Amino acid sequence: MSTASFQEDIARPKQPPQPVAPLPEQLGAARRFFAGLWKRVRDLIEIITASPTAVVGLIMVLFWVFVAVFAPLITTYSPLEQDYKAINQPPSAAHILGTDQLGRDVWSRLAYGARTILTLGPASVLVAFLLGIALGLPSGYYGGAIDETVMRILDALMAFPTILLYMIIISAVGPSHFNVVIAIAIGGAPGIARLVRALTMDIRTREYVAAAKLRGDSDFTIMVREILPNCRGPLIVDFLMRIGYAAFYIGTLGFLGLGLPPPTPDWGGMVQQGHNHMMANVWPVLSATLAIITLVIGLNMFADGVREESMRYQ
Amino acid sequence: MARFIVRRLFTMFLTMFIVSMLVFAIVEIAPGNVARNILGAYATPEQEKSMENQLGLDRPIIIRYISWLLGSDWQVSRRLGMPVKEIVISQGVVERYHQWWAVDENGDLVQWDVEGGKLIKLVRQPDGSVVQVLDDQSWKFDEDGNAYFWGLDTANRAALWMPGQEGTEYRLEYSGWIEAADSPVDYIPMSKGLLRGDAGISLRYKRPVSEVIGRRISNSLILAALAFSVSIPIAIVLGLIAGLNEGKPVDRLISLGGLITAASPDFATGILLIMIFGMWLKILPGATVFLSETAIFKDPRMLILPVLTASLVEIGYVLRITRSSVVEVMNSAYVRTAVLKGLSQRQVVLRHVLRNALMAPITVIMLHVNWFIGGLVVVESVFGFPGLGNFILNAALYKDVYAIEAGAMVLIALAVGTQLIADIIYSLINPRIRYA
Amino acid sequence: MEQTPVLKVDGLAVAYKTRKRDIHAVRDVSFEIYSGENLGLVGESGCGKSTVAYSIVNFLGPNGRIVRGNILFKGEPLHNRSEKELRRLRGADISMVYQEPMSALNPSMRIQDQLAESLITHRGMPRSEAYGKSLQALKDVYMPDAEAVMLRYPHQLSGGQQQRVVIAMALLNNPSLLIMDEPTTALDVTVEAAVLDLIAELKERYQTATLYISHNLGVVARVSDKVGVMYAGEIVELASTRSIYQSPLHPYTMGLMRCLPDVDAPKGTRQLLPIEGRVPSPANLPSGCIFAPRCPHVIAECSAQRPKLIELTTGHHVRCIRAGEWIGKDMVWLDQGVSTEPCPDRDEASPEKTLVVQNARVYYPVPFKTVAGLFGLEKRQYVRAADDISLQVKRGRTLGIVGESGCGKSTLAKAIVGLEPLYDGKIEFLNMDISSPLNKRKLNVIRELQMVFQDPNGTLNPSYCVGDQIAASLRRFHTVPPDQVQGEVEQLLRSVKLDESYYYRLPRQLSGGEKQRVGIARAIASNPAMVICDEPVSALDVSVQAAVLNLLLEIQKTHNTTMILISHDLSSVRFFSDDVAVMYLGRVVEIGPCEAIYMPPNHPYTAALLAAVPRPDPDLEPSRVRLTGRVPSAVNPPSGCRFHTRCPFYMGDICKEQEPPERDFGGGHKIYCHLSQEELEQIKP
Repeated sequence: MSTASFQEDIARPKQPPQPVAPLPEQLGAARRFFAGLWKRVRDLIEIITASPTAVVGLIMVLFWVFVAVFAPLITTYSPLEQDYKAINQPPSAAHILGTDQLGRDVWSRLAYGARTILTLGPASVLVAFLLGIALGLPSGYYGGAIDETVMRILDALMAFPTILLYMIIISAVGPSHFNVVIAIAIGGAPGIARLVRALTMDIRTREYVAAAKLRGDSDFTIMVREILPNCRGPLIVDFLMRIGYAAFYIGTLGFLGLGLPPPTPDWGGMVQQGHNHMMANVWPVLSATLAIITLVIGLNMFADGVREESMRYQ
Repeated sequence: MARFIVRRLFTMFLTMFIVSMLVFAIVEIAPGNVARNILGAYATPEQEKSMENQLGLDRPIIIRYISWLLGSDWQVSRRLGMPVKEIVISQGVVERYHQWWAVDENGDLVQWDVEGGKLIKLVRQPDGSVVQVLDDQSWKFDEDGNAYFWGLDTANRAALWMPGQEGTEYRLEYSGWIEAADSPVDYIPMSKGLLRGDAGISLRYKRPVSEVIGRRISNSLILAALAFSVSIPIAIVLGLIAGLNEGKPVDRLISLGGLITAASPDFATGILLIMIFGMWLKILPGATVFLSETAIFKDPRMLILPVLTASLVEIGYVLRITRSSVVEVMNSAYVRTAVLKGLSQRQVVLRHVLRNALMAPITVIMLHVNWFIGGLVVVESVFGFPGLGNFILNAALYKDVYAIEAGAMVLIALAVGTQLIADIIYSLINPRIRYA
Repeated sequence: MEQTPVLKVDGLAVAYKTRKRDIHAVRDVSFEIYSGENLGLVGESGCGKSTVAYSIVNFLGPNGRIVRGNILFKGEPLHNRSEKELRRLRGADISMVYQEPMSALNPSMRIQDQLAESLITHRGMPRSEAYGKSLQALKDVYMPDAEAVMLRYPHQLSGGQQQRVVIAMALLNNPSLLIMDEPTTALDVTVEAAVLDLIAELKERYQTATLYISHNLGVVARVSDKVGVMYAGEIVELASTRSIYQSPLHPYTMGLMRCLPDVDAPKGTRQLLPIEGRVPSPANLPSGCIFAPRCPHVIAECSAQRPKLIELTTGHHVRCIRAGEWIGKDMVWLDQGVSTEPCPDRDEASPEKTLVVQNARVYYPVPFKTVAGLFGLEKRQYVRAADDISLQVKRGRTLGIVGESGCGKSTLAKAIVGLEPLYDGKIEFLNMDISSPLNKRKLNVIRELQMVFQDPNGTLNPSYCVGDQIAASLRRFHTVPPDQVQGEVEQLLRSVKLDESYYYRLPRQLSGGEKQRVGIARAIASNPAMVICDEPVSALDVSVQAAVLNLLLEIQKTHNTTMILISHDLSSVRFFSDDVAVMYLGRVVEIGPCEAIYMPPNHPYTAALLAAVPRPDPDLEPSRVRLTGRVPSAVNPPSGCRFHTRCPFYMGDICKEQEPPERDFGGGHKIYCHLSQEELEQIKP
């Protein structure tokens, strides 16, 4: 037996304030907007705090966000500064995580590397979402030949093992910040497009879409106003998951030597270079490995916790 | 059912066709063209142009794509007006050379060269030696009366000679640039095409890609098969245990473990395992270096860490899928029916849960094969494993275009083929499709 | 004769644990069922009837538990038994029939194995013998072609067949107690009728004690001996079926009866009296009588304390302190304001036609399943959802379109408003040709032809507040100047009996009935000439249905709106329509003035539909016009008369080969059937 009908009653909203001020509509609108926003934030906090997994994940992620934001304040050396007199040093008071094979401070490189991965990751996912939505929304809405064509191309793109696709793209266009973002966006877009398409195909049969058609709204308006907002739940969860994947792949590309060109501080690259000097000094490779693992696991735990809780919430 | 398989086969071929176009497009049209990749930054525009001409890169993209996929020999044969033939000459045990010859009306194998404006026919004798014959009567003339001749040169290319318009051929040898006068004005490199097993000559190994890649494929397949057969049973058992005990501590433990192993990047897992087992415990070869391509059979201990690394990620993923599928089935109405029928927990699980719960993971596991293969590429790179993934990675780093293309196509064909098999298995075990 | 009841539930209370608090879904429920007796438990959704059922088999899920009370099975307590003992009872002595037969059967197991399993487990029967007995069980529930069904998988059976399998499975071990949880709710009305016949017959044959759960008063009247009416987790009235239906003593029961449209009462002769307000949340129950806030007879004492369930007359238990006052009075219709006030234009002989549909066809292409198909080498196949439909709607009147699911009634509606393209045929609206789909229609045509949808949860966009969704129509159609939009929305909300505070509510904060009202407000925002209502109340609880139907009727009266009401429920169609078209498999089989449709002569299909309507009157002898077989596919509909495969009056080749002729009974009443006029007049539903 469902208790849904009971819960409807529990969450009765407060009555909106009666407009009295000189510009009642705007004022009311602004207040409602912030009230709505605050409610959303509160819902989100409720979802997150209900899941221990999400909380632990968030703490791990926030640690690296903190390190990235305050990198200049919490490091003493530049991440690029080489000191040939002190290469492959173990941790000491001067270098808390030691130095690498070029005498660069490992902690500094780690901190600035966090900046790299935490900006490129979300940026590439954002681009992937723009691409995915642009492809998936019309494909799911119109169906037919448009859908068939888009799907065949996406199928072909999804037949690529992701790493392979990245390798081919990066080898063709060369490693750079921009190209890494583009490669990861191209790799992620087909999955997002499929998700958006599936959601759209479901939502387009809803009666409120028919109602919008019955007031003569254009297809574009219907897609953007009626369908897209109602995809947001699954899309937000997917977005969180994909930031984890993006970090995963940025690290992997760096490790394979296809990431950011040196000397950019990049965790994957640090692991690769440290790997070759592992016998001499284990600290650079160990700390970079643990950094990427904690960040990616943190992102995944956070996304996973949010996903499970939001499923339960609905 | 048969209809379903035919349909799937058709879409698979369609997909592979589009994939081939994508691979070709990304590798060859992308900015930073092939010739420059080979020549480096210091070539003159003339040198670059000559190189493009020799590699056939100045031809229209569609023609290049068709030649790459289906070969150029039949196109050349039409130009020459006689059949062409590829022969393989073995020297010693491993050294093999591929040579393209035209077959003239006498059944002799012939090539051509132009020296001092004279066309010379090179006729191959049965003992392998070559006899030069003056062949000046073979020049053809266009409507303006200009002489021209399409023939095969000695470097496995179809070449167009036009007396009086000879170009300068720049060739990059180990010693540096070589300028050759009297050279042809246009070239078509000979190949049988990817679909006929000829993926072109590797720019790095200077040997046909198809010869270099074979051993790599089988090495990778061994690694994949080992990792797969280790990870799937473990993952399914763990997933079942977790799913049947939803919410209990054992479920939490397994789920968290699954999340951690699935989320950790393969290279990080691999490095950590090397540190633990190779550096600190010293029980397994750590910095695994496979000196030769057949080394994996000599010391099986070397395989343990690569297999373990590739398995861990897969275990995490598959166990999570299995778990959620089991949880879903356990909460389904028909399991409720089974319980309220008076069946014991064991009977419910064995008869009603297992089959339905394992149906979803089978598809997901197989769809996931892309991810798994991507993981193998990384694992091979971590351990220096002489597999296909490492081959493609090195090709990508070296910009060995034909090797990238061939490797990518093989890898994707393997992935798509696996998915097809998965689809067929799924349709066999799912009565809804079998009796649709 | 004193005998032990098969099931005795005494003071049962069940609570579900949620994150915030315990929800007491069921409180103080007591009843007894004796051998051979069928107890019906009726109530609206969320009243706790299913919870009662699942607490008997101790299957409340991880968060539910029995807080108080006893459940005695043959005199022995049921709960606190070991898993093993419970297992021995479940499926053998106590078995269950479920609401959704499709999901209740294992999708990857053959029917014979699912049936035999029960026998093998409980009786240790050898497999071959179990198969034989299972086959017999299928034959006992009149499964057509039982041998073939044994080898099939659930998805290969129709809904009615699946439910027969579930019933056969429940009866395999001759249980002493059978629990049926809304067994016919998911089925079409004609299939439901056949399954109800079966249930009634099985009761006679096996003398099984049955707990029958339903939301439908008519269904319960058909099968039950005793009825318990549940409201918000409590039984408010418990009596023999006859006394409940003839002299209900609890105001809630009376309310339920009053708000039901009567299939035997024409339009305008009865007004539906909805129960005001909504069911209280179990987390926030009123202190006294739980029905007091909605009760029309409430007095001060009602809220003082929770009334007890007392036996007022022999066997008639009521939970109401005033019930004694009403014994012997005809309370059901007590305050029925009979509304015979006709709609405007009612007497006009032939009002102008707002809508004329001529030979309309709506075909959906079937997606190609073969490779050849992808290349266009195969002939395109079509689902003929609506095939050659002609009808007219007069201004200010309502045309009801009835038929079972899949008959094409909704498709036709969508084609009229332009949501589906016409394959062929013509639609004229206000003397304009509107045969083109929506994106080719002019805005001022679109605004005149609006629609009310079926699914309350899908009709409103969950992302926007109620007011904005109504305002969107007003802005788009420029119904009022922009600065008056807000006021107009509030006006519209009031006209659908919602106050303006609803403006800023999100759809998820509304109940189903409220969402439908908003949907109606949105449809009438542009003041359209015609509104098409596609099953506007079928997803709502009965007490809410009445209010929505009343509202639609009121709108029609005030605005003289022309309407089409699409429904599978013949009662609400009769309540609301002036003319009725009966559809079967894409065709109209009978059309005419409402009164003519509900009286003989009838098309055999109409007769079967009318016969299938469960009437809330236990004394009515059930009719025997029943349909067999399943609805054929609309891709390859049967030749000749489409109904011939299921028609009880099938006459052989003529039906199979020739299109049925039109039989005109005057006054616009037409029947499409090969039977002669005289024969048609003989058919009694």
